[in-house]
Amino acid sequence: MSDLERRYQRLVRAFYPPGYRDERGTEIVGTYLALSAPGRQWPSIADAADLAGGGLRQRLRAVGAGGIGPGLQLAAILALTAATTLAGGFLLLELNPWAAAWFGPSPVATPSVSHGVWVWAAWLLAAGVHVAAPGRWTRRVIGLTLVLTVALPLADVLYPYRPPLFVLVAQACLGLVALGVPAGLSLRVRLLPLAGAVAALPVAVALARGGNTMTPDAYHGYYGWPAGQVLPAAGVLLLLAALVVTMVLAARDDLRGVWALLVLLGPIGMMWLHPLAEELAVVMYGGGPNVDIRTLVTAASIVTATAVTVTMLALTIQRRVRPT
Amino acid sequence: METPLREPTFLILTALAGDPLHGYGLITEVTRLSGGRVSLRPGTLYGALDRLADAGLVAVVREEVVDGRLRRYYQLTDHGGELLAGETERMRRNVEAATARLHARPGRPATPRLSGGPA
Repeated sequence: MSDLERRYQRLVRAFYPPGYRDERGTEIVGTYLALSAPGRQWPSIADAADLAGGGLRQRLRAVGAGGIGPGLQLAAILALTAATTLAGGFLLLELNPWAAAWFGPSPVATPSVSHGVWVWAAWLLAAGVHVAAPGRWTRRVIGLTLVLTVALPLADVLYPYRPPLFVLVAQACLGLVALGVPAGLSLRVRLLPLAGAVAALPVAVALARGGNTMTPDAYHGYYGWPAGQVLPAAGVLLLLAALVVTMVLAARDDLRGVWALLVLLGPIGMMWLHPLAEELAVVMYGGGPNVDIRTLVTAASIVTATAVTVTMLALTIQRRVRPT
Repeated sequence: METPLREPTFLILTALAGDPLHGYGLITEVTRLSGGRVSLRPGTLYGALDRLADAGLVAVVREEVVDGRLRRYYQLTDHGGELLAGETERMRRNVEAATARLHARPGRPATPRLSGGPA
């Protein structure tokens, strides 16, 4: 047995479930070896990624979630549209020419723009790339933007002014789902994320120019208000959009929307993180709804556990009712 | 199986409409049919074959051992043939409609010309 064959076998063992690799392992490795150039010693990174993807699909198929793939792609389109819509609105609020300062009670001592401006700009870039180069390039840009979104709180040491955690967590969850965005979409669908971002601009302008009725939160700038109102409302809109798509597709015997709804439960729940944390604060501490890191982490854990439980339940039901 | 079929799925079914093929043969045939545009990797191919077999569109017709390695040969089932025929007919109607519209355009060449092809 050559080194290359042994290395392919190791990858198959690492990624595929035991029963399947016993049945198909030698066939897959044999095909890789037949395709490999003479003298090759190591599997390429693309080969490893291909086997990782194949193994994941097989594990999903084994638990009766074969239909989750197309549902994930549908959820990814909706999640990307929601993420870029929010990014468009937040970017305008960051650059808001009508506001004096963003953070802190003293406008003089605090900067007017947070690091969030780069994150939102990156999301808009992802919307643009989705139009021009859908598929692999869009996923790469979303991946980098996701890293930037998650890394922002880590850069607190250098520059503490950033959107609050509950805004970034919701955005990161949407981004995680958006990574499944497929290629080969019609131009109309590819334009959705960009259209969402553009549609958010007038709403953001109205909020920014709201004057006394929309006074920025003294500590969180305009993020304080959107966290309590706009994010949950955007979550409801995303839920409604997913429901409409689900019903339209179900009318054609296409159940992708059901899986998309399940996949979107997590991000939608995270968009409700702040109000949930407020409720928890009242229960945990009594008194006012003062959100802190403990209430936020607890709320995020509840949302994650609920989304995972509901999805696992759906998978179990599907496995039981599916004809064998 | 959802239709319209994605291009790799369409090409796999087309490749298997002829003689039975094993994994390597199927990958090279799909590459040839697509003029080199679609290049499947084994992990992706066997995932697709599982899906198509679950839907009853392809089936293993024989197995053999070559150089100590198992080879399975796959072929289109009758149901797969019907689905492929339906898809081909749908695409043919689209091509005809597009060709007729292109013919009707004033001052345009009646037949699309490939880059580098004869004028």
